[in-house]
Amino acid sequence: MTAARRERAWAIGILAGLGGLAFLPLVARRDDVLNFVFLILLSITLAQSWNIVAGYAGQVNLGHAAFFGLGALLARSLWIGGTPIVLAMLAGAALATSFALVIGAPAFRLRGAYFAIGTLALGEILRTTVGNVLPEISTLPTATIAGYRLAHRYYLALALAAVSVVTVAALAGSRAGLGMQAIREDEPAAEASGVGALRLKLTALALSTGLAGLAGGLFGYYHISYYPSHAFSPTWTFDALLMTFIGGVGTLHGPVLGAILYIVLKEYLAVRWVDFHLLIFGALFIAIVLLLPGGLVQAATRGRRLFARGEV
Amino acid sequence: MTAPAPISNRPPTRQAGQALLLDVVGLSKRFGGVQAVKDLDFTVAEGEIVALIGPNGAGKTTAFALISGFLTSDAGRVTFAGRDLRGLAPHQVNALGLARTFQIMRPFPRLTVVRNVMIATLGRHADVAEAERRARAVLDELGLGAKADRPAGGLTLAERKRLELARALGTEPRLLLLDEVMSGLTDAETERIVELVRAINRRGIAILLIEHVMRAVMSLAQRIVVLNYGERIAEGRPESVANDPRVIEAYLGDEEVARAPA
Repeated sequence: MTAARRERAWAIGILAGLGGLAFLPLVARRDDVLNFVFLILLSITLAQSWNIVAGYAGQVNLGHAAFFGLGALLARSLWIGGTPIVLAMLAGAALATSFALVIGAPAFRLRGAYFAIGTLALGEILRTTVGNVLPEISTLPTATIAGYRLAHRYYLALALAAVSVVTVAALAGSRAGLGMQAIREDEPAAEASGVGALRLKLTALALSTGLAGLAGGLFGYYHISYYPSHAFSPTWTFDALLMTFIGGVGTLHGPVLGAILYIVLKEYLAVRWVDFHLLIFGALFIAIVLLLPGGLVQAATRGRRLFARGEV
Repeated sequence: MTAPAPISNRPPTRQAGQALLLDVVGLSKRFGGVQAVKDLDFTVAEGEIVALIGPNGAGKTTAFALISGFLTSDAGRVTFAGRDLRGLAPHQVNALGLARTFQIMRPFPRLTVVRNVMIATLGRHADVAEAERRARAVLDELGLGAKADRPAGGLTLAERKRLELARALGTEPRLLLLDEVMSGLTDAETERIVELVRAINRRGIAILLIEHVMRAVMSLAQRIVVLNYGERIAEGRPESVANDPRVIEAYLGDEEVARAPA
């Protein structure tokens, strides 16, 4: 089977699954079920957005939270001010992408670990600044709280997860997407094959941060109250990173499987062991990077191979 | 007959005389205390096969890197198809029709073989289906068609050499720079690559090759440029270069020459 066909099969499968989830609000009687699935859907979008720049273009962006935070900040203020939420979210995404393009050209002068460290610093600078400038907790106006409908948030999250999956599916086998993957594998060899690396890295960053900005906007729409700097917390970056690595970095289905597994495991572990779950995730991450750098996707391939060998 | 300047990267109809394709003048590059390439001059004509030879460390690969835009020269000029290449990024040099391979093969291991080549063909054909069709055609030509949908990381050494060649060809070059595409291959595999290079050249693609496999150099090259310590020490037809005492000295050292029976 060709790579393109495999990707199409996964895209159809995942979109069918998301389509099925559209019926959940009709059957689920409890809000906690919707809240839980909402969290998975938000995580799929966030992980998939990180996957574009890190998984496909190979640029490990550790400042991803900055773009999520910018999206949340602008979308929430506009929405509370009366702008329709979808427009507010698009504005938030535009802000995140504009910021990414401004810092992108200098940031991409850094390579490998230096790019990772540089973006991490950038994210932290933004978080501290927002924490200092906006120290007050942001709470929705009473009228808005009274009209709060969870199902609206849920459907928006579902649509956004579908958008992120469609974006990555369309990208994977496209001219730009293949160029990005060539850069990830070997940037000089990509250049020698006619791939303009800087332009494609900026394209990847723009797409990635745009989606992250949308996810941030959704977060700002969902939560009744939070500290504005919370949306800039490095947790968002590292959650996205963990989910993507658990599932399989640089694949369409990796971040989806990773997000599901991560959220399910996190809820379960957090209930039982409170903060110890962080320790467990740290250990899990190290184990995955050392033993299965391809994540669950690679585990499945290995499993199939072992199985095939057993049958012969 | 005066045709308008070709806009595409296809080679223009070759004239009877050999039009100059690559012109290297006074090229120099120093790394700290090492003068890797020194005042190097040479040319490649349209449709020609030229070999760049010399002992290890003579500056051949550095010369390739300078020509293809991976390194910036300290002095000198490289003109390709009438265009000064100064300041161009590698992908821009490639877009003009100058493709290179790497001595240490650099496949994109996680991508399938056909996608490796599609990355090259997409530079000329924006339509993915068309790029894939052309990539598969190149792979068939190089005998890799059966491996097209396997990950490139699983190829053997000989197959990876051919993939390297396929990727360079996929960019539809007018000049192909081949950096040791035959080293480490068996005699039969080498013979196969020699035939491939000849077939590529018959289509009008000029070739500049770095090669240590002398049998291949002698049978392919129309002209040989010999480097030693970054400088050109000889140039000419294969048979005259092979008998040039300066070349023998560079390869064997002067003691060997002195001790050799007259």
